[in-house]
Amino acid sequence: MTKKSTWRKLVSAMLALALLSVPVLSALGENADSLSKYDPAIDIVFVRAVDNDLTSNVLPQTPNETIESNRWFDLYQDELGINISYAWTVQGGYTDDAYKQKINVTLASGDLPDVITVTSAQLKQLADADVIEDLTGYFDQYASDLTRQVYSDEGSSVLDSATFEGKLMAIPNLEASIESAQFLWIRKDWLDKLGLDVPTTMQELLAVSTAFATQDPDGNGIADTYGLAITKDLYAGCMGVEGFFAGFHAYPNFWTTDADGKLVYGSVQPEMKDALTALAAMYQNGEIDQEFGVKDGGKVAETIAAGKIGIDFGEQWNPLYPLNQNYNNDPTADWISLPIPSVDDTAVSVPLKFRTNMYFAVRKGFEHPEALVKLVNMHLEKNWGETNNFSWYYMPAENGNTSVWKFSPVTPYPPYKNLNAFLEIEAARNADAMDTLVGEAKVIQSNVDAYLAGDGSVWGWDKIYGVEGVYNVLKAYRDNGQLLVEKFTGAPTETMVERRATLEQMEKEMIVKVIMGAASIDEFDKFVSDWYQLGGQAITDEVNAWYASLSAAE
Amino acid sequence: MQKLRRELPLHLMILPGVILLILFQYVPMAGIIIAFQKFIPAKGLFGDQKWIGLDNFRYVFQLPSFTAVIGNTVVISLYKIILGLIVPVIFAILINEVRNKRFKTSIQTTIYLPHFLSWVVLGGILIDILSPSDGLVNRMIKAFGGSPIFFLGDNKWFQFTLIFSETWKEFGYGTIVYLAAITGIDPNLYEAAQIDGANRWKQTLHVTLPGMKMVIVLLMVLSLGNLLNAGFDQVFNLYSPTVYQTGDIIDTFVYRIGLLDAQFGVATAVGLFKSIISFVFVSVAYFSAYHFADYRIF
Amino acid sequence: MQAKPKSKPFSWFSVINTIILTLAALSCLVPIIHIAAISFSSSSAAATGIVTFWPVDFSLNSYQYVIKRAQFWQSMLVSLERITLGGGINLLLIILSSFPLSKERHEFRARSFYAWLFFITMLFSGGLIPWYMAIRQYKLLDSIWALVLPGAVPVFSVILMLNFFRQIPKELSEAACIDGAGQWRILWQIYVPTSTPAIATVLLFALVGHWNSWFDGLILMNNPDHYPLQSYIQTIVVQRTYSMLSREEIQQLATISDRTLRSAQIFLGSLPIILVYPFLQRYFVKGIVLGGVKG
Repeated sequence: MTKKSTWRKLVSAMLALALLSVPVLSALGENADSLSKYDPAIDIVFVRAVDNDLTSNVLPQTPNETIESNRWFDLYQDELGINISYAWTVQGGYTDDAYKQKINVTLASGDLPDVITVTSAQLKQLADADVIEDLTGYFDQYASDLTRQVYSDEGSSVLDSATFEGKLMAIPNLEASIESAQFLWIRKDWLDKLGLDVPTTMQELLAVSTAFATQDPDGNGIADTYGLAITKDLYAGCMGVEGFFAGFHAYPNFWTTDADGKLVYGSVQPEMKDALTALAAMYQNGEIDQEFGVKDGGKVAETIAAGKIGIDFGEQWNPLYPLNQNYNNDPTADWISLPIPSVDDTAVSVPLKFRTNMYFAVRKGFEHPEALVKLVNMHLEKNWGETNNFSWYYMPAENGNTSVWKFSPVTPYPPYKNLNAFLEIEAARNADAMDTLVGEAKVIQSNVDAYLAGDGSVWGWDKIYGVEGVYNVLKAYRDNGQLLVEKFTGAPTETMVERRATLEQMEKEMIVKVIMGAASIDEFDKFVSDWYQLGGQAITDEVNAWYASLSAAE
Repeated sequence: MQKLRRELPLHLMILPGVILLILFQYVPMAGIIIAFQKFIPAKGLFGDQKWIGLDNFRYVFQLPSFTAVIGNTVVISLYKIILGLIVPVIFAILINEVRNKRFKTSIQTTIYLPHFLSWVVLGGILIDILSPSDGLVNRMIKAFGGSPIFFLGDNKWFQFTLIFSETWKEFGYGTIVYLAAITGIDPNLYEAAQIDGANRWKQTLHVTLPGMKMVIVLLMVLSLGNLLNAGFDQVFNLYSPTVYQTGDIIDTFVYRIGLLDAQFGVATAVGLFKSIISFVFVSVAYFSAYHFADYRIF
Repeated sequence: MQAKPKSKPFSWFSVINTIILTLAALSCLVPIIHIAAISFSSSSAAATGIVTFWPVDFSLNSYQYVIKRAQFWQSMLVSLERITLGGGINLLLIILSSFPLSKERHEFRARSFYAWLFFITMLFSGGLIPWYMAIRQYKLLDSIWALVLPGAVPVFSVILMLNFFRQIPKELSEAACIDGAGQWRILWQIYVPTSTPAIATVLLFALVGHWNSWFDGLILMNNPDHYPLQSYIQTIVVQRTYSMLSREEIQQLATISDRTLRSAQIFLGSLPIILVYPFLQRYFVKGIVLGGVKG
């Protein structure tokens, strides 16, 4: 039965994906309350992290706007009668240490703002402590049709992740899981130079890597090039190892299902061994930077920029960073995107991590919990709804195409918006009707056009959305049923909270050691037994209990 | 009564300081109770927390990483203490040998500089100059034909880097007290030694060093109290997960487990543990200082 | 007064000694010079790692950027406000607290009690959360007072000061006492004027301490605009992770190579101290020595 339910979920995920082709999401049959205005106006207090993009890019481009006074605040005030303010702000992202420490002292001191932006672990604590509002009724009553659709595009997983004992305790700040799909990025100009074909199997890729490291593809006569880019963090959206492992049907740092339909942690599965052995051989052979164990993304990006690396596993945005830095220094550097090659005849499954990681919870006793739902409705409506004003509220051209949407304290988006935009562009291209593009697709295409007209600074956009863009590969992944959605989307379990840091550290140490040859591959077996002993078994049991409760609820 | 009146101004003088200490030190000390609770932040400090006795202590002591943390702390601070004594003594003696006054002053002024810079600033500088690919230090190493060293990212080197950079930051400043001690030595002793035919080396050995003995012993004893303070500011601004194994110290551990992982109960327990051990060390140190050197802190 | 070991005017020893001391002094200067050189170089020169002690491809770009960066200047202002207020308050409280504590027990019977009260705070603390909650309770969060009041009594400096006070001859105060002077007058008219070196020392400690603090700013301020300079520098020096970047953040990363920018801000952040401390040197050396404690 578990097997069957897995299949059902896969199928429903496919269906959701298939629905994407609807260009603008419908906002018909709206319930009257979803965007109604408060009179008199109400106040609502948030907390927020102000990321670098906002301070360095958006604010300089929006002269009369500030974090606490801007077009989004005006919109919420004028149309909804909601006055937003922040109890505090910190510099950095919501996952950075600065926000973490500030939110932790805030939670501990019990001085909650009206809406608090927390991780799923914190959400669980807040829910257990009974200090936040149950939003189930408010969501049911106030969510607009668009909001409902957006929140069910990834199946029930997004709302499930904020649901405890059947109650929706927060509105997830939706992040698209499909964007975590990994691709193989490779320097076509090096392939051509060395007379190599585009690799279609893992064996071919390994041969290419060897050639890149040993046959002097940059032609400077010095053996200073590497095959594969990896960083000390191992798991990352660029220069990571997860794509490589997927080629061996191994899914580290990922909850997947075993043959019995039980959830298992990918990092402790036997498939890891072959991939690790391969990486160790590559390191031994000088195909991986001997210093990778101490280099963070920034450092490895510098090596890429210097034109010393030819292979990178990462997400769709890699041409915008770090690959473009290579192109900027050397316009002949031609990075192309390929599907992850398989080590055998079985097609690669591309792991999609569950990406939604922040939640908006409402302080117990706040008089207008529904205001949060209305804000979400409004944010989605003005960007992707029927009355959208994308070119004013999202990335306005007159503000240098910067992300003014970040002024809004709530920022969910339709999870398939990028793939959708690509499909729209492709359709328009095929129909030779580019001028029919609207909204985000139009902004994107303007960048691609700029590149085609010779503007090298937007090279990455063509690599993503252009004719040969990476979304072709994503589309193929989708059409071939290669996308593997992460099965565990709940809050971290009790043992996870306690042990995860230790276990993750063990895991990374083991991988780095094995790759660097400081330990033999047997270290992996020791790690697996240690992992189960030091809490992994308990975590696996808890995760499966969660999974079972989910199927039971359905 | 008259005595009280005479002392009243003294009470009044100390009152503001006492009030501030009570407000900002003693009131928060009540928070030590969370070391004995399964503290859930969302419930608040005076919320319905579960009392778990010594479980937090037990939990942390069974963590394999915590033993390493204690070890790192002691090793790092011990080396820092030892070098922090020896190096300034040597430099005080060397500086004392300089006779060109202007040179002497400029040397002194220059070597005091790093002491006044924060670890935030120095951390930024060190990260830059120690970078394995293009940092200044590694460029020099490469120029001399060596292979680059990842001072901040290699577990073999990280402790060394911490100890060395701390010593470098503080050695100049440390010379102040020793130079003063040397200045205080009776010049007649040198003359007597010269008459006995002692060369400069002998003079240093038999006059200068003995003259500094008291100060050296005193500072050594007092620094024992810092055995569990391996330098939060420094480590925090220099370390990264790769070197937790050798660089994680009690204070950074408390910071991460408390502020980032929100396990405040455990963090407070570790903090309390550290305070108690330090209290013992400090008491021993000050008692010895009083006993051997007749030094009293208050 | 200086004890001068006498020997021949020239010796190999003094040559070697000069070299050693010069190298040691250089080691203290070179890092700063290097950072300054990077900050004045073009970002491409800095990125390729060819800058040593002199700017390569001289450029003021990073400084232009910093000058436009309002946050940098706001932080600078906060820091200045902090050291003025904090330094003043520290100094006042150090003097006021150390005078009674410098008395012998027969002169001030509660002395031991107060001494312990001060001493214990050096060893025990309730930890960060209770500390934070107390400050919140006093409604100080996000104000300059949160940076100034919690550390208003630096016990270490109090010890230094009271040791200094003890060395002032008792006869002075006894004579004044006979003239009918009260404790306050004795403190302000006899002790304070004779203690300039110690006062300069503890003041310097206070100023440097306040200037260099960063952690409390991060925790206690509710808005990055209210960070003192060192907290701000800390936020730009920390590393970032690359796992969860939005497309827009990525674009931004790509456009700024921030090594020169970072160097410029580090350099500017340390400049005031580099400029000021040499002039205070004379005082603090004396103060430390007479106080008999290292800071």
